[in-house]
Amino acid sequence: MSTAGTAVNRKEKAATLVEMCSVRVGQTLFGIPITHILEIVGSARPQPVPLAPVFVGGLVHYRGDVLTTVSLRQLLGLPPKEGPQDILVLESTSGCFGLLVDSVGEVLTVSSADYEPNPSILDERRRALFAGAYKLKDSLMVMLDPERLEPMRLGATQGA
Amino acid sequence: MVLDELTREFLIESQEGLDRMERCLTDLEERPHDTALLAEIFRAVHTIKGTTGFLGFKRLEKLAHAGENLLGLLREDKLSADGPIITSLLRLLDGLRSILKTIEAESSEGNGDDAVLIRRLEELQAPKSAQAKEHARVRAGAHQPAAAPAGSGAISAVATSPTATPPTAPSEHPLSAPTPATQAQEPAASPDLKAPAEAEGDAAKPRSQGAGSAAESTLRVDVEVLNRMMNLVGELVLTRNQVLQATSTDPTMTMLSRRLDMVTADLRESVMKARMQPVSNVFGKIPRIVRDLSQSLGRRVRLQMEGQDTELDKSLLEAIKDPLTHAVRNSLDHGIEPPSVRQAAGKDPEGTLKLRAVQEGSHVVIEVSDDGAGMAVEKIRQKAIERGVITPERAAHLPERELLQLVFLPGFSTAAAVTNVSGRGVGMDVVRTNVEKIGGKVELDSRAGKGTTLRLRIPLTLAIIPALIVRSVNQSFALPQGALSELVHIPPEQAAAAIEWIEDAPLYRLRGKLLPLVFLDRLLMPEVKHKVASERDSFIAVLDADGRRFGLVVDGLADPEEIVVKPLSAVLKGIGLYSGATVLGNAELALILDPGSIALRAGVAMSAEEDRARAAEGERKAEASESLEYLLVEVAGRQAAVPLADVLRIEQLPVSRIEYIGYRPVLNFEGHLLPVEDSGGVLAAAESNPEAQIVVVVCREGNRHVGIAVSHVLDVAAGGKLFEAGTSQLTEGVTLLKDRVTGVVDLGGVPPLPVQAPAPSEWNQMEEAAR
Repeated sequence: MSTAGTAVNRKEKAATLVEMCSVRVGQTLFGIPITHILEIVGSARPQPVPLAPVFVGGLVHYRGDVLTTVSLRQLLGLPPKEGPQDILVLESTSGCFGLLVDSVGEVLTVSSADYEPNPSILDERRRALFAGAYKLKDSLMVMLDPERLEPMRLGATQGA
Repeated sequence: MVLDELTREFLIESQEGLDRMERCLTDLEERPHDTALLAEIFRAVHTIKGTTGFLGFKRLEKLAHAGENLLGLLREDKLSADGPIITSLLRLLDGLRSILKTIEAESSEGNGDDAVLIRRLEELQAPKSAQAKEHARVRAGAHQPAAAPAGSGAISAVATSPTATPPTAPSEHPLSAPTPATQAQEPAASPDLKAPAEAEGDAAKPRSQGAGSAAESTLRVDVEVLNRMMNLVGELVLTRNQVLQATSTDPTMTMLSRRLDMVTADLRESVMKARMQPVSNVFGKIPRIVRDLSQSLGRRVRLQMEGQDTELDKSLLEAIKDPLTHAVRNSLDHGIEPPSVRQAAGKDPEGTLKLRAVQEGSHVVIEVSDDGAGMAVEKIRQKAIERGVITPERAAHLPERELLQLVFLPGFSTAAAVTNVSGRGVGMDVVRTNVEKIGGKVELDSRAGKGTTLRLRIPLTLAIIPALIVRSVNQSFALPQGALSELVHIPPEQAAAAIEWIEDAPLYRLRGKLLPLVFLDRLLMPEVKHKVASERDSFIAVLDADGRRFGLVVDGLADPEEIVVKPLSAVLKGIGLYSGATVLGNAELALILDPGSIALRAGVAMSAEEDRARAAEGERKAEASESLEYLLVEVAGRQAAVPLADVLRIEQLPVSRIEYIGYRPVLNFEGHLLPVEDSGGVLAAAESNPEAQIVVVVCREGNRHVGIAVSHVLDVAAGGKLFEAGTSQLTEGVTLLKDRVTGVVDLGGVPPLPVQAPAPSEWNQMEEAAR
């Protein structure tokens, strides 16, 4: 019994802890490392941009700049949501952008030990967007990597 | 390359010193004995020499030292600054600059060879041995032969172009040479006498002394920081607007929010002011360009510059540098004729190039004018036909002013031969593109034999532009005012008649001419079915973008606003229709439409190309051919005609806006005073009712603007010629309009305003022309 316990402890010690901000889009729970989040803007109504690529959720005004937002919903091919949405202001290597989600939840601490890469049954598009998943006690949290969601990159990979 | 703080500061300071030196050198040519100028030049070179010794840049030090020796002699009046000396000093300047540039890029001096230049600088010092009485004659003889053997490029250019800069300085010299003592005693010279004292001091010191008082009251700020400040102020303005709205009902907050309002406005103004720089920063480079060009082209040119302290946003100043240089090159190459030609034409052999900057409202107007040959309209006509820009039929009928505008088309050049300086056909279109890129406009005026004036209208700041807010697809969009020429409202019941179609191309008849229309909603949301024009109000914004004229149909108009331009992310820029975004006063975001791209996207062609297509279809407007177009107006029951080419705009306003100076009616229009001609008694008739609306047609007359008071504007029509019975001579002041004999309003007959009146700039110009 005790040997089993220390084995678990050792495993946990080797694993690093990551703080993730949980967000919900449709039925799925996503997580984004809080180190990449500049700010969370609640209940915003982005201004649509006609003729923009489909993943663009519109423009929002953020600290004197006009920020392009990426709609996770539209990116996943889900129907648009009525009413205000929350925006995570993310920082990537090529600048800031907004990520439009249904709602922002609490910050969860997860262990890298619970991480698993993308399962192979996901379709190709999702495999390209998701960065693996964390096994929580009673659900799964899909990890998102801001670099992969950056509008320029999406523009190149997703097409209009 | 990472430079240490000291070196960087040295580079910036030296650059500034050299800029000053460049300005002084060209001035020195006119006033070779101006001790203040000489001292300034000496100081620039000396500072560089002193500091390089300290920083260990040997090559730079050697070159600066050679220059300093020569300048020392000039300053002590042992030599006089004549053409060859100034040319060499300019070479020295270029040499120093290029070394500084190398240091900036590679943090070392590079290993170029300055021996030729140094030797040349030393040779020029030669006559210092010959002092006393023979002084003048020996030197005048010694210079000219010395120039040839030295053999460096620029110097031989001087020697081989006999027309350039006749040696005025040496010829004056016998007068000034015997009196060096009196010059030195002049009071103006006394502050400069301190300079040599500094010069003899230790090498490291003068730099800090030179920085002196200016450094205490000014500060160098990174432009990035200013940009950021501008952004934040924009943000503050927006927050203020929201605070004002939120607190409007709370009396205790009103005072506070009003104060916030005021402070914000002041802050915005100060930040904008911090970004302003005088145009002299750009003008300062011009004398050198003019000097070099006039030498290599064999022209004699006098340069006049006015309004150098007019201020413009830093980024805009950068943007006009190239167009301005281009315009100056053009004037020298194509405008001002060689002295012999000028003399033959009975003109002063020395041409005049005038640069003028003046602020007009929210714009700065920069004029480049010369008194050269002007543009040969016939040549342009021929060239246009040759290049196939326009059909011969069309060309024959195009009025002069429109023909002139053709030079702005890409690949159009009228130079008889391709010269080194200009004439490769990438001229005016580049000027126009660059100026339009920053929201400015270019106008061209030219009279054969009299000269050419190029006018650049530049907005004061780039970050804030006036825009009209339009509505379409339930969103607001900002349309830059610069491209907007007029607005047309079409109520739903008239839509069917007003908008005509050829297949699926919508067109509108604007004063008899077909204007292609672009429906913004269909363009932006092609997949959605939109309401047709007969179900809603439509507004046509008539736009002129890069020579493409079209009407943009929108659902609604809001007030014009001064908008703060925010850049878009690359993904959205890629769409190509938007040039940026902005936050409106009501905190709504609006995309800024780019009229040029919309025209391209919708396939609107340049008007010249359109002409060609039209002529090809054999659709010619024969009636309009031989004649000018006139604006037909009604003045107190009678009809009169105003030449359409002279009409600037038409204003409808209450008669109470008209004020009087003595008996003369005037209109104060945005701070500019406009004389109003009322020969028809329209004002007097409307006087009884101050609410009555009158119409003022604002016209161009020479360089000034005049207003004509009329009752109504009726139409635009082509006027026919009338001949006197018997003599068959062409009549003047009258034309045949719509088969009726109609008097033409004599714009020149409108007497000028008294000069003491609060004069708008046009008046100053008139006055100068008269002098």
